[in-house]
Amino acid sequence: MGKSMKMDLGFDEFLAAPEYAIIVVTYPDIFQTEAKLLHGKFSEEYQDLSAVIVLDSEDLEKIGVKYGDLVKISSEHGSVVATVKESEKEHPGIGYMPEGAWSNVLGLGPVSAKVSKSGQSVPAIDELRMSYSN
Amino acid sequence: MVCTGCALLCDDIEENDCVKHACRIGRAHITSMQETSPMVAQEIVGMDAAINSAADILADAENPIFVGFGNCITETQETGITLAEKIGAGIQTFHTEIFDDILDGAVKTCTLPEVRDYADVVVFWGTDPMNTHPRLLSKYAYYPRGEKRQRGWEEDRTAITIDIRESYTASICRDTHMIPPHGHADFMSALMDALRNKVPKTAYDKKRILKLAGVLKKAEFGVIFAGADLIRSVPRDMLIRLMEQLNSVSDFRILPLVPGYNLRSIATQLHGRLDRGDGGDGSGSSVDLQDSDCILCLGFDLMNSLPADRINGKTIVIDPNETLQSRYADVVIPCAAGGVDCAGTAVRMDGINVELPQSRESERISDQEIMRRLLEVV
Ligand code: SF4
Repeated sequence: MGKSMKMDLGFDEFLAAPEYAIIVVTYPDIFQTEAKLLHGKFSEEYQDLSAVIVLDSEDLEKIGVKYGDLVKISSEHGSVVATVKESEKEHPGIGYMPEGAWSNVLGLGPVSAKVSKSGQSVPAIDELRMSYSN
Repeated sequence: MVCTGCALLCDDIEENDCVKHACRIGRAHITSMQETSPMVAQEIVGMDAAINSAADILADAENPIFVGFGNCITETQETGITLAEKIGAGIQTFHTEIFDDILDGAVKTCTLPEVRDYADVVVFWGTDPMNTHPRLLSKYAYYPRGEKRQRGWEEDRTAITIDIRESYTASICRDTHMIPPHGHADFMSALMDALRNKVPKTAYDKKRILKLAGVLKKAEFGVIFAGADLIRSVPRDMLIRLMEQLNSVSDFRILPLVPGYNLRSIATQLHGRLDRGDGGDGSGSSVDLQDSDCILCLGFDLMNSLPADRINGKTIVIDPNETLQSRYADVVIPCAAGGVDCAGTAVRMDGINVELPQSRESERISDQEIMRRLLEVV
C-alpha cells in the first residue's frame, strides 16, 4: 500500500502559505515505469516516484519550500499533494510531474495550477478519486 | 525471446538465468511476477465465474465500449473486434490516428532498419525515447553504424529534439529546441514558414528556426519521431502539411512513438472503420466514455491514463497486472502477458510483423482465450 507522509506545519503557517501560479507539464520516467512493473501501482516505490513535482530553485524560494517538502498543487480539475524535487535545470513557472494517476488529478497537461506549501499528506493511489473537483 | 515492453519489440533478448540485452523497462516487464486474481464486485472468484459475470454485463449493456487494445497480441485484438461487432460495442484506442495517415499514404514512413542504415537527420519531437523506448537510440536512431552511416552519431547523424521540456533525450542531442507548454503548433507553423524561405512571424528565435530549417532541407534521409505529446497538440492536417512541406524541399519520413507495444496492429485492423474512436488527447473519448454503461478495459489502465472523473458505467478489466481501474472494476479477469506467458504475434511500430514466442511456463490464460470464451457465452 502507498505510504502516507506527514509533516509538521502549523495551521496558521499553513493558512499563510502563499499560492504560486505554475504550469504543470507531465513527463515519462523510466524508473517510475520500472517500479510499476516490478512492484505494482500500489507500491511505495511507485508512489515515491509518481507523486512528485520538479520545481525550479527560484520557484522553491517563492513558494517557501525546499527539496523533500510537500506541496499542494491545484487546478480547475482537482488538487493533489506531492513531494518537491529540485530541478537541475532552470524552468521558472513550470513544474514537471511524472505521467500517471497523481498528475491526472490536475487534468490533461499542460495545465495551469496553483502551488503552495502543504500540511496534508500524499494521497495513496486509491485515494485519488476524492481529489477531483467534481 | 521478443520483449513486449514497448513497440520496438526487441528480438535479441536472451533469458536464461538472467535477462540479457533488455533495457530497464524490458527487464522489469519480462521478470514481473505480479499476480492478480479473478474478481467480481471486488471479491475473489474462480475464472469461470469472472468470465460469466463479464458476459452478463456485456449482454445487458446498451452502450458498451472497449478501450485500450495497444498492449495485447494481434490475435486478442482480432477476437476483441469480433466480440465488439457481435454486441455492438464501440472501440476506443489512443494515439492511433497518425497510423491512419501512414496507412493512407498521407505521410511517408520507413522501417527501423532503414533508419539505422540511412538516416542522417533524426528529429525527436514531443517525445523522450530514452524514457519510453529506451533502446531506440542505440539500436536504430542515433548511435549505430548503418550501411550508409558508417560513422554513426559521431559524424554521420544529426539528432534534434523539439520539446516542451529538456528531456534526457534532449541532453544527448546536438540541437535542442525548448518550446513553451502548448507551443508545438506555433513552432511548427514558424518552421513551415522557414522551410518556405520566409522569415517566420514568431516569438521564437528566428535565426535558430531558419538554421533548423536549413539542416532539415539538407537531410538525405530525414526521420521525425513523433511523440504522443506532439500528436495530441497539433491538428492532424498540420502534421501532414509539415511532412508535405519537408518533402517538397527534402526527404522526410515519420514514425510515431506512442504508448503500447501493439498499437500499430490495432490501428491497421481498424483502419478506415467509422465505428471507432481515437482519444489521442483524451478529449475524443470523454463523451463516449461518460455515456457508456459498460467499459471493457483491455490491457489499458483507464483511471491511471485519463482523469478518472470521466469514467461512468460498469467496468470490466482484462489485464496481466493489477491496475488502478481494477480496484474499482465490477469484474477483473487476469490474463497472460503477450510474449511472456503466452505466444502470439504483434506488429512493430514500423509495421513489421513479429512472432512472439512464449518465454516462461505459465498457468495464466491468454486474453485471446478470454475474449474467445466471452464471444461464446455472450
Ligand atoms: S526498448 Fe522496448 S522492446 Fe526493447 S528491451 Fe526495452 S522495453 Fe523491451
